[in-house]
Amino acid sequence: MPIEPVLTKGFGSLDLTDLAVYRSVGGFAALTKALREMTPDGVVAEVMASNLRGRGGAGFPTGKKWSFLPKDGRPRYLVCNSDEAEAGTFKDRMLLENSPFNLIEGLVISAYAVNAKRVFIYIRGEFLAGYRIFQKALAQAYDAGLVGADILGSGYSVEIVPHRGAGAYICGEETAQLNSLEGKRGEPRLKPPFPANAGLYGMPTVVNNVETLMYVPHIIERGAKWFASIGAEKSPGPKVISVSGHVMRPGNYEVPLGIPMRELVMELAGGLRPGRRVKAIQPGGGSSAAIFEEDLDVACDFDSLAAKGTMLGSGAVTVMDDTACMVRCALTINRFFETESCGQCTPCREGGQWVHRMVARLEAGEGSESDLKILTTINRTITGTNLCVLGDSIMPFLSSVYKHFPEEFHDHVRLAGCPLHARSESAA
Amino acid sequence: MTPQRERRGAELVAKYPEARSALVPFLQYCQAEDGYVTDQAIADAAELVGITPAEVESTASFYSLLFRHPIGKHVIQVCRTLGCMLGGADELREHIRTRLGVENLETTADGAITYEEVECLAACDRAPVLQHNLEFVYNVTPEKFDSLLETWRRESPAAALPAE
Amino acid sequence: MSPEKAVREVSVTIDGNTFAVPEGTLVVEAAKHLGTQIPVYCYHPKLEPAGLCRICLVEIEKMPKLQIACATRVADGMVVHTSSAKVAEARRGVLEFLLLNHPLDCPVCDKGGECELQDFTMSYGPGESRLTEPKLHKPKLVDLGPTIVLDEERCILCRRCTRFDDEIAQERTLIVEDRGFKSLISTRNGGAYASYFSGNTTEICPVGALTSKAYRFRSRPWDLNHTDSVCTQCSVGCNYRVDTRFGRVMRTFTRENPAVDDGWICDRGRYTFNYLYAPERLRAPSIKRDGGRVDVTFAEAAVLAGSKLAEAAARGRVGVIGGGRLSDEEAYALQRFAREVLGTNNIDYRTHAQVYASPSRFGARLTDIDDASVILAFGAVTPELAPILDLRIRRAVARGHAKFVYMGPYRPAFTIETRYVKLQRGTLPKELDDLGDAVRRGAGQPGGSDVATIASDIAAAKKIVAIHSGEDAPSADAIERLVETLQQSGRDAGILVVGATGNARGAEAAGCVPNLGPGYAPVSGEPGMTTDQMLAAAADGRLDALFVIGANPALTFPDGALARRALKRVPFLAVADQVMTETASYAHIVFAAASFAEKRGHTTNLEGIRQAFAAAVESPLEVRTDAQIIGALTLATRRGSIGDDPTTLFAELNAAESAPRAKTGGGALARPVVTGASAPIAVPDGALTVIPIPHLYAGGGAAAHDPGTKPMRPEPYAVFSPSDARRLSLDEGARVKLSGASGSIEVSARIAQQVPDGSVLVLAEMPEAPHNLLLDASGGGWANVEVIAGAAEAAG
Repeated sequence: MPIEPVLTKGFGSLDLTDLAVYRSVGGFAALTKALREMTPDGVVAEVMASNLRGRGGAGFPTGKKWSFLPKDGRPRYLVCNSDEAEAGTFKDRMLLENSPFNLIEGLVISAYAVNAKRVFIYIRGEFLAGYRIFQKALAQAYDAGLVGADILGSGYSVEIVPHRGAGAYICGEETAQLNSLEGKRGEPRLKPPFPANAGLYGMPTVVNNVETLMYVPHIIERGAKWFASIGAEKSPGPKVISVSGHVMRPGNYEVPLGIPMRELVMELAGGLRPGRRVKAIQPGGGSSAAIFEEDLDVACDFDSLAAKGTMLGSGAVTVMDDTACMVRCALTINRFFETESCGQCTPCREGGQWVHRMVARLEAGEGSESDLKILTTINRTITGTNLCVLGDSIMPFLSSVYKHFPEEFHDHVRLAGCPLHARSESAA
Repeated sequence: MTPQRERRGAELVAKYPEARSALVPFLQYCQAEDGYVTDQAIADAAELVGITPAEVESTASFYSLLFRHPIGKHVIQVCRTLGCMLGGADELREHIRTRLGVENLETTADGAITYEEVECLAACDRAPVLQHNLEFVYNVTPEKFDSLLETWRRESPAAALPAE
Repeated sequence: MSPEKAVREVSVTIDGNTFAVPEGTLVVEAAKHLGTQIPVYCYHPKLEPAGLCRICLVEIEKMPKLQIACATRVADGMVVHTSSAKVAEARRGVLEFLLLNHPLDCPVCDKGGECELQDFTMSYGPGESRLTEPKLHKPKLVDLGPTIVLDEERCILCRRCTRFDDEIAQERTLIVEDRGFKSLISTRNGGAYASYFSGNTTEICPVGALTSKAYRFRSRPWDLNHTDSVCTQCSVGCNYRVDTRFGRVMRTFTRENPAVDDGWICDRGRYTFNYLYAPERLRAPSIKRDGGRVDVTFAEAAVLAGSKLAEAAARGRVGVIGGGRLSDEEAYALQRFAREVLGTNNIDYRTHAQVYASPSRFGARLTDIDDASVILAFGAVTPELAPILDLRIRRAVARGHAKFVYMGPYRPAFTIETRYVKLQRGTLPKELDDLGDAVRRGAGQPGGSDVATIASDIAAAKKIVAIHSGEDAPSADAIERLVETLQQSGRDAGILVVGATGNARGAEAAGCVPNLGPGYAPVSGEPGMTTDQMLAAAADGRLDALFVIGANPALTFPDGALARRALKRVPFLAVADQVMTETASYAHIVFAAASFAEKRGHTTNLEGIRQAFAAAVESPLEVRTDAQIIGALTLATRRGSIGDDPTTLFAELNAAESAPRAKTGGGALARPVVTGASAPIAVPDGALTVIPIPHLYAGGGAAAHDPGTKPMRPEPYAVFSPSDARRLSLDEGARVKLSGASGSIEVSARIAQQVPDGSVLVLAEMPEAPHNLLLDASGGGWANVEVIAGAAEAAG
């Protein structure tokens, strides 16, 4: 069930980094509408009615998040999270590089809705190109009076400040991002207090993902009903999903939420190489548990995937075919979390490092059955015991593939190496 | 602090409600100037934002794109996470290590190239991927790497890790 | 203190017991009401909850995940389980993770026996180990500076130490470096962690990562005997424990008293006990003979000294100096000795620039700092003179409710934001009267003149605490007038006087001053001579004997040249001290005195709290307590009888204090008589005004010979303003000679922005270069500067 693209419309054919081009396809009409015809509360109500859920990973309803801000006269901040680093996710980078004005429009409307006078956009340090593109677009937007003082004569003013990160996955966690923006170590904060009450500089703060904010102008322009009518009932709207791994056409696909995984992988992404079968799929980035060939009919939305014991997350689908060694796949994920743990909490810091060592040993053919025994239970003391959710991301993939392919793990011990590797070598 | 650095520092501080927010951008600026974050940069940053040099050190050490020791004029960062691994990153990394004669986070003997294995760079659809001085290179094969290496060796970039 | 706000109570059920606690109580604290210990590592009651170690996970009904007891506040009706199977599993998990790379070198670890990793592993750890991992290695034996060694492998990254340095000391030099499992506790570039409070981190470290250099491999905790004591190194009177083994002091350890020390001690207090075992410690009395010194027995020394003092007393030409370093009981005995035995009021504990130690009215409490809105300090450099009091100021300012104002002749290095007002000598009374006027007239103005700005701070203030160095009597009066004005305007206000010595206030209260007996009661008859007068008289040949006890006027009295002249000239000088001080070196007879650890008694802190300390160890054979020395001298004079039993003396002191006494108007306590006022001094052309500066580790006597604090002790130095340094062509590190009206010293030069042009800051109380050779009796002085060697030469 393909839909007309919303955010990605014109990608590949139009240069949307040019303000005139963006305007020619209706850009900034929503901003005009919001500032001239709607109150901030009206914008919040519209977004709430659309049931737009956060596209950064948690899927929290955006309008509801906005409504949590206390009305106590303190300055408020909107922070746009463009620190995309979840393994397998590459949609925000594409959106930032290809459609910066859609993002700017979303930022201004959202800032207007929550009455923020200053917006910070936290751009991942590795996205230097995206940062430059955004800077350039922002300068044009300022010149055109679309950002800054008295926007479009509405009396509303907002400043947008791009801020480059410096290399730390954990800064995608919203409280870590706030610490990082404050010039501190990017370590997640204890909650409560929540950012809505005490966020950036201790002030009420909303943190929203790039993709989430980019849908806001479209919701304002075309109405909440239009948005809510697309896709799954409880997870409505389009979503850009990054598909990678063993598929013929890896890339970003803007699809209605609820699209069956089979359609996404086998049709849109071109399916697998000839003669190959799906072995495992990470449906929601490195943090998510795998699903398997028999799960291909699951709908890609927040709730359906949760029911399968995994998650949609940031919308990153990584496909592994039957040539993939599950131990080696797990190794990359566990190495990732070892490297990216901030180190504050014991289970994540020490446990994550321990799990990585064990998996690395298994992969190298040096593992033991006792390692495997530990891996079956360590989940209980690593998951759910840390200050932020990074620790909860260490085990899902490993546990799911170990549970599904236990013999592959035991074979690594028994054969002191990878059975697949051995097979392909003997085949060769 | 050099007058130029002081000016840039003041500009950065002016962007934020609190000076400390300018810390990392300022260190990035200094790193682009000096090649890495020098002791002087740490001291300058402390002065600029009004915290102790030790606090600057603690913050700087958290971020993988800030280097506290000299690095090459070329920084090659190769992704090793799942998507890239499935696309052949393990073999690519092996090739690069042999080719450069270095291990992860080492710099070639001539001081020109620093090699680092990094986590997901958000370009999994064009795996395996690397960044050379923060510019993406997609679908890297050993052959492609070798020819790029020849090109890079002839270049002399202003900064391995530009701030802006 | 302002009355406590009514706190709502909520009901909580922990492990089946339902009880009420104040709303907002942390679960970990609530559990303590039941006597239930929830294990913690990163949590420390004095630090903000951090939620890092995760050992304190508990089960709370209606919450899907386990919650950390250290950061979760009780809500009404909350039901908590602290030892369910789920909790036990999580704890086992955390301990397993912590032990994963821990070296398990308990047999050689100082913390063994008082290690929370050991204790909790025993109580909650996994029954059997499945840790066959090779250990990851991290740096061991990291030298963190003069006091501490760090073992990164033992560290569990609870961050108590870095959070102490951040939240409590607010110095922010101890940091976490790197991230993830590579995280390390560190200083910048491996520099020294040179905090005055560093030792506290060795105590709050729950494992053996931070250990004290002074205590490494010295003892096992279970072999130690503990004695409750009180630190006498400064006038704050922090409570601590003296830990001993085989009759020897091994270490000191905090013993929290929220009203005094809030659970911390400074490094000078913590480490100054090693002199007890230093070669410089006096172990027997000695007499001057044939140009040298000869050890004698205590009895011999007492008989000799007693008769000499009695002879001088008979002629009415005797004086007694000291008391500020004695116990309350001993100070009381000392003034009895002067008055009853020697028949003189010539007794004075004041051997520094300080002229009083007890505010005559409006005395404040240390805890008043906690909720003060404005803290005004006058000449009292609290980080150097009273570090633990300074921590209270730091906390009050950090919490954002207090402003800190310092008035003095130069700007000391405070950790906190300071409003500094530069004072010319002798101008404080006028400033304060102007300030009082401005407050009365409501003439505060932010950003106006100093006076107007402070007046505006005060206008918004509910509570003001004034902290005085106790120097200059007119200033003392002016401070009291200001506080009176503040009180009349409906504000809470009070005064703290930082004592120059540990028991200055106790000595004053016990009557070691020329005009007051115990309990500040004016003496009958003529007041005796002050220290200045006694020294002047001795220097002029008008005194036949001086008895100096626990005091070192040669180094501390403002006019060092006068002090030295007097001590040299007086026909008979007896000194009691613990080491051979500059003063004792002049003495005909020196008594070897017991230390604080070798006697019992009481000491009175700057706020007037009288605290008991017990004897922890026995003193060497010929060493006696000051009370015993006074008692023996009394016997030897055959002019009375003063017992040396602290219990009896304490009872007598209490009785004397509670006797009705004449008070000055308004119920104020009488102040010690002061002779000589601080007059402006004439500075010759080209000379610099000398401003003495205190340093925590400066001082003569025990401080000069303690191996524990020696690594921190500065070399004598003087600090010049950049423009004076240019004018004098001197570089940082140059060797310079400072020559004043009556003496000269050699020091190394430093240069700092904070020095006013035309002045030189001279490190005070350094025996190698006594600052007081440059001063007159009022504390004023000047110096001509001569460069002896350039920086490079001096370094070579």
